[in-house]
Order: sequence, then structure tokens, then C-alpha cells
Amino acid sequence: MSQDLQPGNIGSYPEDNDLKKFIDNRKRGGLLWRLSFQLATLIAILALLALLYNIFNGAFGYVALQNKVDPNALVLAMEEDQMLSSPKTVSSEDDNELVKRIENNPNAIGFFGYAYYNDNTDKLKLVSVEGQTPSRETAESGEYPLARPLFIYSAADVMQENRAIGAFIDYYLTNVNTVIEDVGYFPISDELLNGATTSWSEAVGDQAEALQSYAANPADVSDHDIRISGSSTVYPLTRQMAIQFRRAGFQGGLDLQQTGTTAGFRAFCEDMTADITNASRPITRAESEACGDKKRTPVEFRVGTDALAIAVSSKNTFLENVTKDELRQIFTTAETWSDVNPAWPNEPIERFIPGADSGTLDFFAETVFNRKLPELTESELVKILEANISTGLMRRYEAEKPLAERSQAELVDLVLERVVEQKVVGSWKFTESLFNRTKIEEEVARIPQGELQWRSWISPKFLITPQSSTPELAGVRTALFGTLWVIAITILVALPIGVGAAIYLEEYAVMVANPILRRVNAIIQTNINNLAGVPSIIYGILGLAIFVRAIEPITSGTLFGISDPTTANGRTIISASFTLALLILPLIIINAQEAIRAVPNSLRQAGMGLGATRWQTIWSHVLPNAIPGILTGNILAMSRAIGETAPLVVIGASTFITVDPTSPFSKFTVLPIQIYQWVSRPQPEFRNIAAAAIIVLLILLLTLNASAVILRNRYSRRLS
Amino acid sequence: MAVGASSRPEVTSQTEVDITTQLRKHPRVGETLIEAFLFICGAVSILTTVGIVFVLAEESLLFFTSGEVSLTEFFTGTVWQPAIGQFGIWALMNATFTVTIIAMIVALPLGLAVAIYLSEYASLRVRSILKPILEVLAGIPTVVYGYFALTFMTPVLRNIFGDNVVQIYNTASAGIVIGILILPLVSSMAEDALSAVPGSLRQAAFGLGATKLETAVQVVLPAAVSGIAAAFIVAISRAIGETMVVAIAAGAGPKFTFNPFEAAETMTGHIVRISGGDLSYDSIDYNSIFAIGLVLFCITLVLNIISRYVVAHFREEYE
Amino acid sequence: MSTTGVPTSNGKYALELQDVHCYYGSFRAVKDVNLKLHDKKITAFIGPSGCGKSTVLRALNRMNDLIPGGRVEGRILLRGKNLYDQDVDPVEVRRRIGMVFQKPNPFPKSIFDNIAWGAKINGFKGNMKELVEQSLRSAALWDEVKDKLDQSGLGLSGGQQQRLCIARAIATQPEIILMDEPCSALDPIATLKIEDLMRELVKNYTIVIVTHNMQQAARASDYTAYYLMDRSDRAGELVEYGETDQLFTNPKDKRTEDYITGRFG
Repeated sequence: MSQDLQPGNIGSYPEDNDLKKFIDNRKRGGLLWRLSFQLATLIAILALLALLYNIFNGAFGYVALQNKVDPNALVLAMEEDQMLSSPKTVSSEDDNELVKRIENNPNAIGFFGYAYYNDNTDKLKLVSVEGQTPSRETAESGEYPLARPLFIYSAADVMQENRAIGAFIDYYLTNVNTVIEDVGYFPISDELLNGATTSWSEAVGDQAEALQSYAANPADVSDHDIRISGSSTVYPLTRQMAIQFRRAGFQGGLDLQQTGTTAGFRAFCEDMTADITNASRPITRAESEACGDKKRTPVEFRVGTDALAIAVSSKNTFLENVTKDELRQIFTTAETWSDVNPAWPNEPIERFIPGADSGTLDFFAETVFNRKLPELTESELVKILEANISTGLMRRYEAEKPLAERSQAELVDLVLERVVEQKVVGSWKFTESLFNRTKIEEEVARIPQGELQWRSWISPKFLITPQSSTPELAGVRTALFGTLWVIAITILVALPIGVGAAIYLEEYAVMVANPILRRVNAIIQTNINNLAGVPSIIYGILGLAIFVRAIEPITSGTLFGISDPTTANGRTIISASFTLALLILPLIIINAQEAIRAVPNSLRQAGMGLGATRWQTIWSHVLPNAIPGILTGNILAMSRAIGETAPLVVIGASTFITVDPTSPFSKFTVLPIQIYQWVSRPQPEFRNIAAAAIIVLLILLLTLNASAVILRNRYSRRLS
Repeated sequence: MAVGASSRPEVTSQTEVDITTQLRKHPRVGETLIEAFLFICGAVSILTTVGIVFVLAEESLLFFTSGEVSLTEFFTGTVWQPAIGQFGIWALMNATFTVTIIAMIVALPLGLAVAIYLSEYASLRVRSILKPILEVLAGIPTVVYGYFALTFMTPVLRNIFGDNVVQIYNTASAGIVIGILILPLVSSMAEDALSAVPGSLRQAAFGLGATKLETAVQVVLPAAVSGIAAAFIVAISRAIGETMVVAIAAGAGPKFTFNPFEAAETMTGHIVRISGGDLSYDSIDYNSIFAIGLVLFCITLVLNIISRYVVAHFREEYE
Repeated sequence: MSTTGVPTSNGKYALELQDVHCYYGSFRAVKDVNLKLHDKKITAFIGPSGCGKSTVLRALNRMNDLIPGGRVEGRILLRGKNLYDQDVDPVEVRRRIGMVFQKPNPFPKSIFDNIAWGAKINGFKGNMKELVEQSLRSAALWDEVKDKLDQSGLGLSGGQQQRLCIARAIATQPEIILMDEPCSALDPIATLKIEDLMRELVKNYTIVIVTHNMQQAARASDYTAYYLMDRSDRAGELVEYGETDQLFTNPKDKRTEDYITGRFG
């Protein structure tokens, strides 16, 4: 090197510390960029995760179900019906009649309000339940199982604004214990009664004294009306109090309804059509909050305890105590006493129970049976069906599949669908369901007959039920069949043509000497590459014009006289398949070409060198070796076709069909179309089933790709 | 050796037969038929193109000769309201371009960055994890991306910018999601281009003391620029032709707006919506989708041709 | 047998090349070859890379047809019939003139099928098992593979694979076997086996072999043809052709002498 080319003469590079700093700077910049590249990659992964998460999120979560009929009431009615129809059962609305029939029959048993037993202690023997004898104390504490508290509810502002109400409640609390035993309930302890009075005083505040004076002289508040709603159990007691209040001089309106506890709270808290509501259970948190929304703070007054007495004749020597389970058997299935307990005599049980309309029977059934719909047996479910749906409908179901052959779960579904008429009235996504549970519960509690349920929108049932306009009943069966049909025909058409074209281009076209033909072949190749870039919707337009319209006689099947009776136009499976076949043809050809090109030339030469014709060589050596690659390309193309939506929308896939496709000339829908339609609906439940359908679609694609990998591996192992 | 004279008599006897007869061409009908069949298979693709061009041209001709719309009006108008006889394709084209630009803003930098990371930085192990993930992303049907746009991206945008700013249907959400959708396409094509750059070039750069970044960005990237450009062009073409995402998330009504948070209908979205209903074959609506289709076809075709031209004419120097 | 070790010619010619020119597209790769191949003899084509020897070999059974743009001018006569006449079927030509390639290329099939396939497509009717056995015996491979005929041909060693390819060629009972550098991918021991095999086979077949290896040509062939690329137009041409002993000991052409004495650049 000559002297004047030494760097020092014409410039310099950083040295020592400067060099170190210089390199460090460059490296720092490099690290920064490297991080940004990694970040980009991370974003891509996050996008995929978000996509999958979002689908998952939509496919699972809580739903609010609303029932037209309360399933518990159905069970109760069925249980009561069973009780009433058991052999040797006498039912009477007249409790005295029951007492009279039991007293002389040692094999008889019955139940009624505790008061009636109390009047007849000499003739009857009280049976303890689960070791507990009913008494004011055991009933009040809840130790005795067949007991429940009785309440009335009102609110501070109601009592203050409507003096009649405030006065009536004071009157009620002061006098309830004088009448309660006549009505048939246990009086509550002084302690509880004092508590109730205190609640009243606190609620009415400084009006207490005035109201107390009105209570003593109800005529003074006759300018106000009293509206009472709620429990039918408390009703007789409140009615008795109302009668006395009127007797004491009250002349205002007195509207007393028995609607049941739940409806009573609704009338009181939400509709505000009641000023007082009777209740045979405490108010729930949700009900209380619903009241709070209307600026009404409910105040609870315990007024008594209801208990049932299980009684036998005083002549009965064997029965002292029963368990709840024994009680259930005694009043339903058992025929003799020894059926229930071998220690008891082998004598028929004679049952005496209150009438079907009495609250007593309901209470007994609720407490003793306490079963939910899904716990019932097949025959019980069939009974419910028979009792609640028309014989015509029953016959139809019987024809579809005999009820006797249906599983318990199927019958439960049928009851839910036809009798309970369960409807999804709200739905929540997976994460909402996990993290906002309390809020959801409150919302659901506000729905009349509402119920919260965890729901997996994707289920075996979802796969085998056809489309429906009710999202919770809809399934993908029709779409799934449509997809399978369309894809099968698409592949049947596209695979041979695609592979054929690839063979031509790879094995024959290069050998062509004729310049015109060579030009044609070059055009074919360029053309295929260009077609691969044409948007899929353009193929849809082509399919619409050619397959649906121009050759409609063929694609509708009318030419062959086998058209689907439901559709006589060209918007059929076969049109869809032809369209998709053209769409994936370039993909198949390009992939197959690559696979064929990858077959070593030596194999071709070996074949030809032996005097094989070109086709013999291709068939015996080129194709077998190219098959794994062709297969992979084919699977890719199939996946593409399965996911295609736009071209099928354009050629006119059906928007709503519930009939499985039966031939290539059937009208059709496919999974992606179904998803598209469901996504486009505004109701959130349709988003849920769209998510479920997406999972079905993705699983289908995943299975397909996995099977391709397995197939390819097996094939290539066999080759080598 | 076993094959001695005993196995040769056929040949000796053959020599007595006229050699011309022996070598004469057999009419191999099967072979000819097969070749003809294979040629026809290849020709199907030509027929497809011819079919597309013919169908689009014929119906578009009907559209333009219907008297309801003139070519100038079609290509300059910004109002698309068939009900009042207004067919200005810019109402649709504008939305298409908005969506495409947003998609490109997302897909190009991200896709290129991912490609550089995969090709220049990632270890074999990382690559073996990342590539399948990108393939999964590429294999998900577009209708699923539509669902994603409407039920995920739109709520996210509305949370960030406010419900009164972002409409339920908007081109921004559709554009971002299309960007994600074509990201794997960009990254895999760009990565192919980067990987095709010979290792010797990298070694030369490292040998001069270049850092990894300098090698990647200043040596490898320029060497692969034609392939990357082609990837970008294909991505644009793909975004323009993408249908389901916009059909689900971008809105159903042509609107000439530059606000990406407003609903607007793209060309593809319009075709899907119009043909999704019960379309009468004689209506001007029916003809209009062919005219839009023709425009769409031409745009994407030109882009594809450009991309192939770029690859074919700028690649050789590095091979 | 003559004293020189070169069996005397029976006076017949298996193939006759007259004014043969080979083209790839517009490029002339080989020019003006005139050559008579002796029947039931081994003829070796030697020469430096790119001299066109392989091209001439491929021209003999019309394998050049398979290369896009490949074309032959002139006449190649098999018993008086020009193989390039319009009415000649190249498939028929290849049946009669078999070929063994540079790299062993067994089909990815069983050993049995490797041999049977060629026979099958050529319409062989008879005892296939026997044909396979005979062919394998002829290729001196039988003892090594007789217990694993159903295993893949790709499982054999390189030398075995090449003998399998020879057996495959024999099975179709060609008149002439062309070998394109059959030993270039093999080790010396496998090479020796192939050469021994050729000496056996030549009793029944005419063999033409292209080789890079002058020793091999000297050892194994009866006649040798030396090709060289003409620098002026880059086309290969036949420089000298004659009995192997004579060509190696007493070359007539200066260029041949340079090559065999290693003075060739």
C-alpha cells in the first residue's frame, strides 16, 4: 500500500474509547430496532389470541332464561297430582272431615295445619318429623321441617304517606296473636313481635303516636285505601285482620289479593300496585334492590309461623316419628306400611290429605318433595307432558320418536321447550360471566320467572339441529350438510382438472415444438397466476351469470328431471360447487405444479429409458411421488373453499332453510354463510351462536389440515 | 451368466423381421387422448378468464347502455343511490380506498417487521413456533375476521374514541382487521424475498464490521426490495378485493366520507349486499354489480400484473 | 479373442451414425459425428467435460427428445433404419436401446417392481418371477438381493442400485445398452463390479459407455471414441475413433495424444 492511501492521510476512523462508544451506539440502535421487530411479531400473535379469545368469549357464558311456566310449579303440580291419585287417598277441603276419618283408623295418616291437630289432641296422635315435634318454638326456629315463617312487608314512606297503612300495620301487630291460632298458625314469640313493633316505630318515626291513635280508631283514616297483595298462605290471616280492622271502623277501600309471594313483591316493589305484601319467605336481595331502585325501602314484619302436623289416629301404635323420605313414600308410592319400613305392619296405608286447591298441600309437597325438573324420572316427565300439551302435539312427538324410548335428558328438553317454554332473554360473554357475576345475578333476578344458567352455545345438540329463528334453538345441521355437499363436489370437479392442468403444464407443455401452441401454453401459465389473484367475489359474479343463470336448466336439475321440488332455480349446490371449483383451481394447479416439479428428473429418464411412454412414466413414477405435495395443496385449497363466503352469497345461498340438502340440485346454505347471517343480526344471542358456528368451522378446518399432515406423513414414509 | 443364448432367441428372430416395421410408430390413441384431456384441463383456466371478462363486459355494457347512467357520471360521481338514478362509483371506491389504506398502515410495517425478525433474527426454534402461528392466522376464513371486527375491534375503538365518535359500523375497524388478515401474507412473501438473498451477502457485510441491524436493513433489505414490493402490491390487491370483513363491519350504505369512524360501503360490500337479497335479474341493480365487478377486476388485475413485473424484472441481479 | 485383448469384430455394426449434429435450441452442441458401433462390443466415449459425448449417447436412443429444444440432425441407423425418421416411434427406440444413467436412479418401489415395471409396460407376458431372477442374475445382483425382493430399491448401496438399474434395463431385452458414466457416483470396488458385469453382458449386448475415467475406458472397452469441443464454435466433435488398444497406445491425432497423456488443459 502506498503511503498516501493510509487512512490517516485522508481521514480517520474512531479509535479506542471513541470506537467503543461508536459501536455501542450502533448496537443500541440495533437493539431498539430488534425490539420493535419483536414487538411487531408479538402484535401478530396477540391478534391471533384476541381473535380466538373473542370467539371463545362469545361461545360460552351466562344466559338469562325466562320461563312462561315456572318449572318448580310444574313439578309441584305433578307431585300433588301423584299424591292425589295414589290409591286409598282421600282428599278433602274440610279439615274436620279429615280428622274424623283418621281418628278411628289405625292405618290412616294425614296432615293439616297445626291448629286442627290442636283442636283434636284427644283423637289424634302427632307424629314427629326427623325427630322434631311441632311446637311454637321448634316451628319458629325452623327446627321442625314442615314449618315456615309468615311475614307482611311495607315501606316507611308508604306508611307515612298513607296513614291507613301505618295504622293498619300497627293494628295488625297489636292484634295478630289474638286471632292467629284460629286461622291455624303458630303465634310468634313476644320477642319477635316486639322486634316487629320496633321496626314499625322506627319506620314511621315521629308519626308513631298519631298512627297508634288511628289504629285505635280506624274510622279516622277512612279517606285512604289499602292495597294488599302476595302470599296465599298469609292471606287468611291478613284477611282476618282486615275484617277486624273494618269492624273497628275503617271505611276506606280494602283491596286484598292472593298472588303468591314473588308476584306480591313485584307488585309492591316494581309495579307499586300494592302497599302491603304478604310473604311466606323473606325478601331476596335482588327483590330488595329492585325496591331500592324505586326508592322504596321494604320493612319486614314477622307475624306468625305456619306448621303442618302429621297426624295418625290415637289408636295407631307403631308410628311415632318419620323422616322426610318416609313421608314421601307414605304419601305417594308405598301401598302398605311395611313397604316403607319393615318394622311397620303389613297393612294398607290410608291417606287423608287436604284438597288440591289448598296452600297446605302445596307447602307439604314443596317441603317434602322439593325436587327440580331435571331430577324427575322419565315417567314423571311424560306425565307432565301429557298434562300440559295437546294430544295432537303429543301424537306428533310420539311419531317422531316414541316418548318411551326417549332418554330422561331428551324428555327434560322437551318439557323445557314445549311446556316451560324457556326463552333466552339475555346473554353474557365468558369474561363478563366470570367477573360480573353479581351484577348479572341482580339483573336476572329482576326478570319475572327469570333464571340464570351457564351455557355452552356449542353443544352436540347445536350440531344436529337445523336452523331456527330462535337463537337458542338454532343449530348448524343444515349448514354443515351444505358445506360437506358443496366441498365434496367442488373437489370432485377441481382436483382432476387441476392436477390434469398441472401435469400438462409441467410434463407436456415444455415439450411442445409448435410455436403457436407454445404461446398458448405460456398464456395458460400466466393466466393461472393472474387468476390466483382475482378477488373471490368476482368468481361469485361469474358463477351468478354462468352457472345460476346461463346454464340454469343444468344446475337446477330440470334438464335431467331431478330438480329439487323446493327450488327450481340455479341457486343450487352444484352451482356453488362449480363456482368454488373455478376459484380454487389456480391454487390446486400451482401447488400441484410445484409438487410435480419436485419429482427428480432421473425418475422420468429411468422410466422413458425403459421404453415407457410419457403417460406410463407419469402415471407410474411422477404422480405417485408428487401425490403428497398434491394432497397438501389440495387440502389447502379445500380449506380455502370451506371458508369462502362472498362468492356463495353472490350466487345466492339460501338465507333460511331447515331441510337437509338431498342432492346436488338442492338449495343450500353453508357454515360461513350461516355465520355471516347470524353475525349480521342485531340480537346478542345470534352473536353467541355465530361464535359457536365459528368454532365448528375452525374445528372442521383443523381436522382437515391435521388429517392432511397425517396422510402426507404416512404416504411419504411408505415411499421412502 | 444365466442370461445366455437361451434368453436371446426373440431378439435374433426379431432381427429377421423388417426393422422399419419394428420401429414403426404405433397409433397410441390412449396417449393422444390423455394429452388432449390434460390440455383441456389447462384450457379451463383460459375459459375462466374469458368467462369473467365476457360476463363482466356484457352486463356492464347493458348497464351503461341502459340510459340511466353515463360513463362520466359513473367514474366521477360521488353519490351512489340507485333509487334516484345516481351511480357514482366514487362513493364506493372511496370507502374501498379508505379501508385499504388503513389495512396497509397496519399490515405493511408489521408484516415487514415480522418478516425481518423471522428471516434475520429469530432462532430456528422461534421460527418453528412463529411460522405455524402465522399460517393459522392466514388459514382462518375471512368471515371469522368479520366477526372479530364487529364484536371485538369496533367495541375497542368505541372504548378508546368514544361511542359518539365511532359508529357501530365503520371503515376503521374493518380496515384494521383486514390489515391483520393480510399480515401473514405480507410477512411470508417478504420473508421469502429476504431468505432468497444469498448468505454470502450477509457474510460480506458482517465481515466489514456491520451490526446485525445494519446488515439486515442496509444490505439484505435492499437486495430483497423487489420481492418485498411485490408482496406489498399483492397485499393491496388482496385488501381491495376483501369482502366479508367489510360486508360485516364497515356498513351497509354507500357514503362518500373521509372519516374512517363513519359507516361506508365498499365496492365488494355493495356487491354482497345487493346480491344477498332477492335480486331481480332484469333490474339495474343487478347490472350495476357487474359494472362494479369490472372496475374491481381491472384494479386487482393491474396490481397483480405490476407485482409480477416487479418480481420478474428486478430480481435476477441477486440470483 | 485377439492377442491384444480386443475381441475381433464379427463384422456387424449395431448402430451407424452419419453426419450427426445435435442441437439444444439454436445452439449446436455436437457436430458432424460419423461412427459405426460394433455389434456385441463395448464402445467407450471419452473426452473432457462439455465435449458432447453424453449428448451423442443420448441421441442414440432419442433421450434428447425429452430435453426441451433438443434436436438431432443427420442419420442414426439401426440395421439400416434411421431412428430419426418421421415414422419411427421414440418409445419403440428406447425399448430396444436401453439406458443406464450417471446417478443410480431406481424407482422408489420394491426391487422386484423396479425390474418388473419395465417389462410390464412393454407388454411382457410370461413368468415375471423368472424374468426378474434372470435379470438380477445377469446383473450379478441376485445373490445379494434374493431375500429382499420386496424391499425398496432405494435401500441398496450405490453400487447395488446401479446394478439394479442395469438389471432393469436388461429385463426389457434391449439390443443395445447405453451407459452414461455409470460408475461416476460409485466407489472403486463397486466400479470394478460394474466393469466385470459389462464384460459379461457384452457377450449378448452391444454396450456404449460414456466415461470420464480413461483407465476405465482402457480397461473395459473394446473400442473408444474421443470427443473434443471445437473452440471456434463450442460444438463437440469426434476426434478419433478406433480399437481401444490402438487408440491408447498409438493415437493418430495429436489432440488425442495430448488428452491420454494428460497434457490436455
